[in-house]
Amino acid sequence: MRYLKLIATAAIFGSVMSALTPASAEEVTIKLWARADRSGPLRAGNIVAAAEPLNAALKAAGSDTTVKVDVFEGPATGFDQDALDILKAFSVNEGPDVYVAAHEWVGEFAKSGYAMDMTDFIAANQWAFGDVIPVLWNATKVDGKVMAIPQDSEIRMFFYNKDMLRKIGKDEAFIEGLPAMVDKGEFTMQDLSNLAKEVVDKGAAKVGIIHRPNAGPDYLMVFSSFGAKFMDETTGKLLLPKAEILKGLQWFAWNAQNGVTPPNNTAMNWDEIQGGFKTETTFIYHQGVWATKEWMLGEAKGATWPTDEASYFHKIGWLHAPAAEKGGEPKNLSHPIVYVVNPQSKHAQLAAMLVAYATLPYFNVQHAVGSAHLAITNGEADMPAYKEAWYLADATPMMARSTFIPNHPDFGRYNGILFKGLEGVETGRLTPEEAIDFLADEMGSELGDSVTVVDSLN
Amino acid sequence: MTLRRSESIRRTVDRLVFLGPATVLLALFFVAPVIVDVAIAFSDMGRNLRVTEFTTENVRHVLTGDRRLVGVMTTTFIYVVSTLAIFNIGYGLVLALATTALPQRTGAFFRAVWLLPRMSPSVVYALLWSWVVAPTDYGLLNQIFTALGLSPIDMKSNAPMLLIVLANGFIGASFGMIIFTSAIRSIPEHLFHAARVDGAGELAIIRHVTLPAIRWQLSFVTLYQALALLVSFEYIWLITDGGPFYDTTVWALYVYKRAFGSGQYAYGAALSLGLVLIGIAVALLLWRFFDMRAMLQKPRIEVA
Repeated sequence: MRYLKLIATAAIFGSVMSALTPASAEEVTIKLWARADRSGPLRAGNIVAAAEPLNAALKAAGSDTTVKVDVFEGPATGFDQDALDILKAFSVNEGPDVYVAAHEWVGEFAKSGYAMDMTDFIAANQWAFGDVIPVLWNATKVDGKVMAIPQDSEIRMFFYNKDMLRKIGKDEAFIEGLPAMVDKGEFTMQDLSNLAKEVVDKGAAKVGIIHRPNAGPDYLMVFSSFGAKFMDETTGKLLLPKAEILKGLQWFAWNAQNGVTPPNNTAMNWDEIQGGFKTETTFIYHQGVWATKEWMLGEAKGATWPTDEASYFHKIGWLHAPAAEKGGEPKNLSHPIVYVVNPQSKHAQLAAMLVAYATLPYFNVQHAVGSAHLAITNGEADMPAYKEAWYLADATPMMARSTFIPNHPDFGRYNGILFKGLEGVETGRLTPEEAIDFLADEMGSELGDSVTVVDSLN
Repeated sequence: MTLRRSESIRRTVDRLVFLGPATVLLALFFVAPVIVDVAIAFSDMGRNLRVTEFTTENVRHVLTGDRRLVGVMTTTFIYVVSTLAIFNIGYGLVLALATTALPQRTGAFFRAVWLLPRMSPSVVYALLWSWVVAPTDYGLLNQIFTALGLSPIDMKSNAPMLLIVLANGFIGASFGMIIFTSAIRSIPEHLFHAARVDGAGELAIIRHVTLPAIRWQLSFVTLYQALALLVSFEYIWLITDGGPFYDTTVWALYVYKRAFGSGQYAYGAALSLGLVLIGIAVALLLWRFFDMRAMLQKPRIEVA
């Protein structure tokens, strides 16, 4: 009885007290999910920083709501795995309010109702989005609707070691003129392989051309160069053009069989791959412009390289994926990362506002310069900090050849299968022709109706 | 009356106390997962983990549509049988015979050495293997090869199956070794003396005295380890990742990759259902083959 009395007294006292004190200011916590990624720590950092101007704006508008960002850094090693993790989190109602994703996953998120249609929000907030480089919106559209906000942009390239060409006796005109020859379509994919073979045969390098060890965007630009398209724009279905993909696979097979690419490239780890290029035992490395800032300049991966523009370009040159045939068109690939807002979040509007602030040049330029990614707004590209970052200025013209990965919910799986076929070819487990059968078979049974297999695009 | 009643209550309570925890654990960790797996296998759960309908599509695809499955089954068979025969039974037995023939301390030392891989965390163990067989000049194996004047090799690309059998076998051998050792120790000493008096050599003693005496242990280890190997994939995943291509993708790894690598959860569940059925079939087959029922019979005489 005594306890009961005590509890009753406490309850009455508590309710009276709370009625007397004014409602305390509401602090809203926005959950952000961003994969832990050395090549772009400010993808999360900029959203966190954006809370400051947002809170100032809220205060100025007379609201006593304050926003705090709670960051979860996913441990996944790639964006594909991270996207699956985010989907798992959503399925148990632990999904974030806003998250970072590779743009080709937006389709899957949108399909499941985890991506907010941003059309109205963008229209209402032109102060933040009006200056976004228009082509980037293409990477965020699902069925014509903008479902995400571009976070960065990039270009991919073959990095080639000029010192090795000097070693095998090539003249400066050839060495420096190579990017222009590629751009004009005079230097083909096979020429690139032959050149790499020459470098290896003459002992200037152990490895000719090396690429990523797991599924990802880089090798797609090789297939694009051979004329492949991955999606039929009219039907919105994924596409497997056999003849064009075959040509690409034959190129990889030739490299693996002729000592240009190690047959076990797909089983190597990143350190081995990048270390080989940095310590100058590999002639060509295939990845994106951000690698410059991440480990090429200065000391990393077992060697120290110069950090100034002139010395860097004296050693290294950048190439598009050359044309398949003389007179053809070289290709590049951009793989923008995006912010996606969860429409089911109680604080979706506040989360979207954070994204709006983070899109402003003041924030985004820090990510661009710090991690060697391209600008997402024109204003940002004009900022002194951006212009001083020579690696960005030099990469921007290459954007002209850019293509994007299709925003199809099944593209992640499509690409996984394509990579498996590539692995089979390089390791000698499949001939390129067998690999085409493997791809058609595997895609047919795994992706069913969402992929159309055609003999050729012509 | 009351006495009897309180006794019956006590009995019920005793049963609950003694059997309860085990029953709960079995239900939670063995029965429930199978039920969940069956439910998922017959659903359309994809990457967003939603179930919109129940379907037999996945099971049909496992049975008729999966072109990788025959290759995966062959790989699994080769992997399980060779690891089991060469290491878990064969080498385990050799180790047990050799270390029991050695002086007590030396024998114990060698057994301890063979237990080391089992005591190290899987990831560390797998990482060590990756470094040993690294295809560069810096791999431990290649350093030895180069020192001997041989050319470096790339086991991961050229002999991946041998690599995973070795990596799993080095761990697996110790289980058989321990059990066989204790079995050999329990054979009455006078049988060996009698055999020697009759003029039997070492091999004849092993053949006619030791092996028949440890028959049940051999059967048990074969059955138990066959099932363990059938579902184990962590070392393979960490060392070769099932590659190159599908060369070392065993069934369990294939299930994992389908479900968690590409988010086909329902299809992975259907595949693992197949693995459960095969496991049961193998267990029953071996049970019959080794006549395990005879082992579990009550002894006909009371042993003091």
